[in-house]
Amino acid sequence: METVEEFIAHAIALEEDSAVRFDDMADALDVHNNHEVKDLFLKMAHYSRLHLAEARKLGEGLTLPDLKPWEFKWPDAEPPETPDQDATHYLMTPHHALAMALDSEKRAQVYYAGLANGHDNARIRELAAEFAEEEAEHVAMLEAMLAKYPAPPVDWDEDMDPPIAVD
Amino acid sequence: MDAVASKPQDYKSELKPVWCPGCGDFSVLAAITRALAELGLEQRNVALVSGIGCSSRLPAYTSLYGFHAVHGRALPVASGLKLARPELTVLAAGGDGDGFSIGGNHFVHACRRNVDMTYIIMDNSVYGMTKGQASPTTEADWTGSKLTPEGPGLSPFRPLEMALSAGATFISRAFSGDPLEVTRQICAGIAHEGFSFIHVLSPCVTYRPEQKGWREFVHADFTEPYTDRREAFLRLLDDDGFTTGILYKSQTPPFQTRPKPVEPVSVLGDQFAI
Amino acid sequence: MIRSTVSIALTGSGGAGVMTAGQMLLDAAAQAGYYGLMGRTLGPQIRGGESAAMIRLSNRPVQGLDDGHDILLAFDWGNIDRFIKELPLVPGGIVIADPHHGQVPAVMDQDHHRIVNIPLHDLAKTIPGGRVNMIGLGLIAELIGLDHAHLLDRVAKQLTGKGEQALAASKAGLDAGAEAAAGITGLDPLAEPQPRTGDRWSITGNDAAGLGAIQGGVRFCAAYPITPATDILEWLAPNLPRVGGSLVQCEDELASINMIIGSSFGGVPSVTATSGPGLALMTESLGLAVASETPVVVINVQRGGPSTGIPTKSEQVDLNIAVNGLHGDAPHVVTAPLSIGDCLFTTQWSVHLAEAMQTAVIVLSDQVIGQSRAIIDKPADLAFVGKRLVPERIEAPYRRYAITADGLSPMALPGQEGGMYTADGLEHNETGHPSTQIEHHQEQLDKRRRKVEGFDYGDHWGVVEGDDDADIAVVTWGSSAEPAREAVQRARTQGFKVRLVAARLIAPVPVARLTAALDGVSRVLVVEQNHGGQYFRHLRAHMDLPGKVETYHRPGPFTLRPREILQRILGQ
Repeated sequence: METVEEFIAHAIALEEDSAVRFDDMADALDVHNNHEVKDLFLKMAHYSRLHLAEARKLGEGLTLPDLKPWEFKWPDAEPPETPDQDATHYLMTPHHALAMALDSEKRAQVYYAGLANGHDNARIRELAAEFAEEEAEHVAMLEAMLAKYPAPPVDWDEDMDPPIAVD
Repeated sequence: MDAVASKPQDYKSELKPVWCPGCGDFSVLAAITRALAELGLEQRNVALVSGIGCSSRLPAYTSLYGFHAVHGRALPVASGLKLARPELTVLAAGGDGDGFSIGGNHFVHACRRNVDMTYIIMDNSVYGMTKGQASPTTEADWTGSKLTPEGPGLSPFRPLEMALSAGATFISRAFSGDPLEVTRQICAGIAHEGFSFIHVLSPCVTYRPEQKGWREFVHADFTEPYTDRREAFLRLLDDDGFTTGILYKSQTPPFQTRPKPVEPVSVLGDQFAI
Repeated sequence: MIRSTVSIALTGSGGAGVMTAGQMLLDAAAQAGYYGLMGRTLGPQIRGGESAAMIRLSNRPVQGLDDGHDILLAFDWGNIDRFIKELPLVPGGIVIADPHHGQVPAVMDQDHHRIVNIPLHDLAKTIPGGRVNMIGLGLIAELIGLDHAHLLDRVAKQLTGKGEQALAASKAGLDAGAEAAAGITGLDPLAEPQPRTGDRWSITGNDAAGLGAIQGGVRFCAAYPITPATDILEWLAPNLPRVGGSLVQCEDELASINMIIGSSFGGVPSVTATSGPGLALMTESLGLAVASETPVVVINVQRGGPSTGIPTKSEQVDLNIAVNGLHGDAPHVVTAPLSIGDCLFTTQWSVHLAEAMQTAVIVLSDQVIGQSRAIIDKPADLAFVGKRLVPERIEAPYRRYAITADGLSPMALPGQEGGMYTADGLEHNETGHPSTQIEHHQEQLDKRRRKVEGFDYGDHWGVVEGDDDADIAVVTWGSSAEPAREAVQRARTQGFKVRLVAARLIAPVPVARLTAALDGVSRVLVVEQNHGGQYFRHLRAHMDLPGKVETYHRPGPFTLRPREILQRILGQ
């Protein structure tokens, strides 16, 4: 990542990917009748979209690079704020959902903090610092929310019914 | 290809997947829609054909022309469609049981036939829709199913070797946990003229929860596609089943029917005249 | 006495050229103006096996074999005991034997045969390049009074490119055969052919089925070879591309049926051809065609069964599986051609039905009509071309499986804007989304039944002939129609009041039409070629037959002949 335009393109993709993933997970939980977590995921998607709008605003008037999905430079396989698909479970509780969200926000925070500290481009450092700060606020907010939802008993995923044969 | 600015979401239907939360197939669905958006293909000109199984539910979750056919037969349905309507972009998708077991013969012959289409297998080494039995790619000593309490006892099917020996002209592997790589491979597969086989390791969180650990095993070491079958074979001999990337690509012309200049139907009877 | 029809069997083995000789005889007779047909019976060997050509010639249209042969010419006696029962002779029938091949086998040497020894082999040896089948052909032509000029023409065609010498040898052979016939008496001469009023065709049932498919609009075929259906595929392979279509050879029947489901989903009318074992493999996906409402046509050329059975010989044995083989409640259509020539009509009509109703149609042809060749009047142009109901304008949301009065829902084709849907073998709602709901299952079952059972099949469901005031109705289907028709005609010339009711539409059973066709009769005789009385049971499951009901059914491989049916009509 060399330019401010590239940085903003990444910021947009990061929030968009996060929003879409939270939506997908909300759908999955909806189908599995876990409406409490579904609502939480929808809320997370909503927040991501708010940030997405901000990132898009930053890009207004600039010519952003047209990167293919796999051309983005992420530290890992997926954008840092995208929650882990395989951490969802049909019986998951708000505690798990918030922990997932917290994890993704933390990763985003680390990502931006890294750019804020180490990038050559001063403007990118500046923007990244702002984003990192914002993510830190989300982290703090989620930590506060999480405190209200203590970890469920260890047998939270126990289902007395066996799985269903579908096809 | 039609250049239409489109978003991945445009390729999704309003139907919500029945897959278990956490299933790898969600990421493959997302990758397919992202690839189609990336290529700017119009929904009406793309068809997605599947068989039966968890991953075979995929067509209904898209806004494409879809066909959810019977178990094991996605490839012939897709081949028939592509041969009859060559201007369409045809994708086939399904699971390891559908594609390698009941549909194994079609897999071999689809590789040989080299019809220009893209086949995405979501491999989780288990039959999810029938409650977790061993599939062709299950380890011989896996004892997780009541049906094979001692383990299936068969050596696991090696999809890439099969595809290569049968004549597939595009062979790749990806991990659902790396959906951007899946997207890249689907784009490359669609762009490839001929039969493209994309093997996606896609964990089953319900019957094979240990597969979440695949994230630690996969390694992107198919870096540059081989064009020489011999080299690709040699490379596969060292494959641990978790190497990702595009393994092989060749320029063999795809199979297509070649109609002659069209005559009126009425002349066909002349051959029977006395 | 002048005879209006003559039947000839040519038999031999090990490259005697029986089939070629038979074909030449039929062609020459056709050129002379006769009608006729040629059937065949074969041993299991790929080359060199025993075989017989069964030829019937007549000055009026015939599409079925007669009770027995007037002449049996044996080029040799290889394995004759295996299939002599398929080659019965009329009383006093002439057996032409070649002493070179030893004694006439005991199975032939019956009191009512006339054995005539002709040294075919030795005669052929006197001619440089001479062949026994030419000697035989010359002999037969002379016996039945067929002008040699026609045979020579036909032989010349066969030998194109083989040089003057070969043609001369053949001519000498024909002459030698004719000379050898001089001493044979007692065969009434065949009536002169009637003047031709229109063009005629020489065609097999399998070729006719292929042509019917294309005329019906078929432009794609996927198939796997199987006896006795392969001829259809081999005819379609070069002919489909001529009209912009194509044929693909598949890895198995599972692929064939599913490929044509795919191509038809794409909007291209599609067909496959198979025989019993292949049909069994296809039944799962025929259910998919029914559930997803994707039109397909399967031409099933029946052969002896069950299992691998008797691949080279005929039986009407797949009615049960064709009608009832699909799992679930799966209304679809089953048809059956009534003769060699009718393979064209019935197949073309079947494509029309499949396309119009968006369902699966199984055509029950069989080996005897599929692999026999007949001289027929050139078929009239048929109006049936498959026409699928495709939406012109699509309003969102597109309901692919919309509930309609006639059960038919406009089918969008890939490429069509706004029509994107997923065809599904899972039960679904009107939009095609999978559903397990009671009301969706009920309404989709109802619609799929309604469109097939409520369809107007018109007068093509079958053929009704004979006396309006008939006492007896002979009810039959498919390839049994021709021998049954001839039996009915004979009964009527003997003064009996008889009606022929031959069904082309097997499923759904056209109950109202059949009831009307059987009106007034006090006896019903159901005739078919199988061991289990499949059509009879099928009819009885759907309707009551009037009066005294009898069945006449027996297995193959000896095909039904008029006399045995006549005997049942006469109550003998």
